[in-house]
Amino acid sequence: MSRAFYWMVLPAFVLFFVFHTVPVLQGVYYSLTDSPGYGEHAFVGLRNYVNLFKDDRILDAYLFTFQFAVVATILTNVIALAIAVGLSARIRFRTALRGIFFIPNVLAILIVGYIFNYLFSNYVPVLLGELAWIGVVVVAVWQAVAFNIIIYLAGLQTIPEDLHEAARIDGAGSWRRFRSVVFPLIAPFFTVNMVLSLKNFLQVFDHIVALTNGGPGTATTSVSLLIYTGGFQGGEYAYQTANAIVYFVVIVLVSIFQLRILQRREQL
Amino acid sequence: MARSIALLVAAALFASSCGQDPGSAVTLDFFQFKPEAVKTFDRIIEEFEREHPGVRVVQRHVPNAETALRTRLVRQDVPDVLTLNGAGVFGELAAAGVFHDFSRDRVAQVVNPPVQKILNDLGTFGRGEVNGLPFASNANVVIYNKDLFARHRVEPPRSWAELIAAARTFRAAGVTPFYLTLKDAWTALPTFNALAANLAPADFFARRRAGLATFLSAYPQVTEKLKELYSHGQPDRLSRGYDEGNRAFAEGRAAMYLQGSWAIPAIKGLEPAFELGTFALPAVQDQRLVSGVDVAVTMAREPRHPKEAMAFVEYLMRPEVMKAYAEEQVAIPPLRQAGSPVLREVLPYFERGRLAGFPDHHIPLAVQLERLLQRFLIDGDSRAFLAELDSEWDKVMERRS
Repeated sequence: MSRAFYWMVLPAFVLFFVFHTVPVLQGVYYSLTDSPGYGEHAFVGLRNYVNLFKDDRILDAYLFTFQFAVVATILTNVIALAIAVGLSARIRFRTALRGIFFIPNVLAILIVGYIFNYLFSNYVPVLLGELAWIGVVVVAVWQAVAFNIIIYLAGLQTIPEDLHEAARIDGAGSWRRFRSVVFPLIAPFFTVNMVLSLKNFLQVFDHIVALTNGGPGTATTSVSLLIYTGGFQGGEYAYQTANAIVYFVVIVLVSIFQLRILQRREQL
Repeated sequence: MARSIALLVAAALFASSCGQDPGSAVTLDFFQFKPEAVKTFDRIIEEFEREHPGVRVVQRHVPNAETALRTRLVRQDVPDVLTLNGAGVFGELAAAGVFHDFSRDRVAQVVNPPVQKILNDLGTFGRGEVNGLPFASNANVVIYNKDLFARHRVEPPRSWAELIAAARTFRAAGVTPFYLTLKDAWTALPTFNALAANLAPADFFARRRAGLATFLSAYPQVTEKLKELYSHGQPDRLSRGYDEGNRAFAEGRAAMYLQGSWAIPAIKGLEPAFELGTFALPAVQDQRLVSGVDVAVTMAREPRHPKEAMAFVEYLMRPEVMKAYAEEQVAIPPLRQAGSPVLREVLPYFERGRLAGFPDHHIPLAVQLERLLQRFLIDGDSRAFLAELDSEWDKVMERRS
């Protein structure tokens, strides 16, 4: 009987292995060579990794990406939580509104990005110029809030109505009820949203391609964009693959660290 | 259902067997990189086949042609005849000995020698070899609105002072002198190239590679003039890109447009209500025009059908074929004598051989020159720009070694 479970896992495992694990291993292999992405290549040991740490352009990309990701994660979660609380209250057109707020999630980021690009360049050009990073934050948050609302809505529905009632009878106002009843009870959902948002924002790519293509200059070049432009257009495939491997490890470590902290907080 | 599939397969087989000429026909594999020119080449091939009944030419065109070609080379599968853009990749492959040496062939004689030199400078297998033939050239020109020039009584400028005076005249009259499109970083490159080719020492890149010169010491004049030009643009330059620039210029919203001959078909396609003119950016007295080889023709070093491949190359390099192509694609045929209406004003540079290649072809792509340039044109800090160009150059060279 228990063998059936293995068979059920097998297709997903095979797909994951072939399309995810194998390319990662290939990437590790190429990061140890001098390959430009095609043709012949030779082993160069850890040279690419050593060079990474001498490259200020990579450091700049890391700084930008982390600043962007932290700002966007906080904004996304604050806004999503506020909207979700509103959408779970007894209001008119509740179902329709929930649907409308989910729409940005269904739209392709590239298309949304080009529309915002058009809007910004004609009405708020500064969001593609000196303040380009804010432009990227606006689009990223606008798009990401939709998915986070859904998770928070699911969380809010797990809170039994009698807890609200009990709190109300004890004389708690709405802010007090949110702080002391609602928020602690949806803490696991908060954890999931924070970890997923930060991870997604650290990999930001489409938004930037559609809005600024990393510019002006290199002001909005995220790590993913640098890997792409340097590796495929600049002909430094192996070098940027090494960058990708390091970045993969960094994201894993950040996510684990974040989970630890937030889960500890849940238990308080 | 099964039967209809079988019928389809049979029909497909029949069709494909009909497509191949029976008997002794030779099929040439023609790799063509330029997507805009597929139809033009189809017509050229048709006429060639009519003249050579025994030869069939199959045009292969794919997106990302240069990458696709490299994957074929890895498998030792070199196309018989090729077109390639005369840029870094062509030079790299030529230096690796992939292409035929035309130096002793009659067909190489039709090309204007300074244009041939631009292509050879990118790289050759052996000393004195000619590994490709320029088929169409482009030119780094300032495009201008003849109507606005006539209305404000401005002559096409011949010196830097005249150019700046013209910009001031237009500005005083409320006309934008240059339409700038800094949202697309690369659109600053043509101007950078025109200035760098004339203001920096001719042997700069050789000396830079040897560590004997720096951008910081050799390029201040280039950045200074670039900055001056960019001070005469429209205010929303940062939020306008190449396509918007073409449109705005075609609508007559600026007197001059700092681009190259490649932008002319796009602007003409928008049907401007005025005549377009071109002049070379006048950086110095007796300057050189920056011109690249837009399309180079070459063949495999060891083609499967040497005689037929050479016949096709010779056909392509006939002056009337090159002229017809240039007419259709608004290019300059790199012949000793050339002619093309819009570009008439810059043809003397070709006839006198006052030409220079694109300086940015010597800067590794990984340096991302256009991004550094874009930032410089926003913040105006010339020293920081040149210092970063030097440090990026050094880092890329170190990673390559």
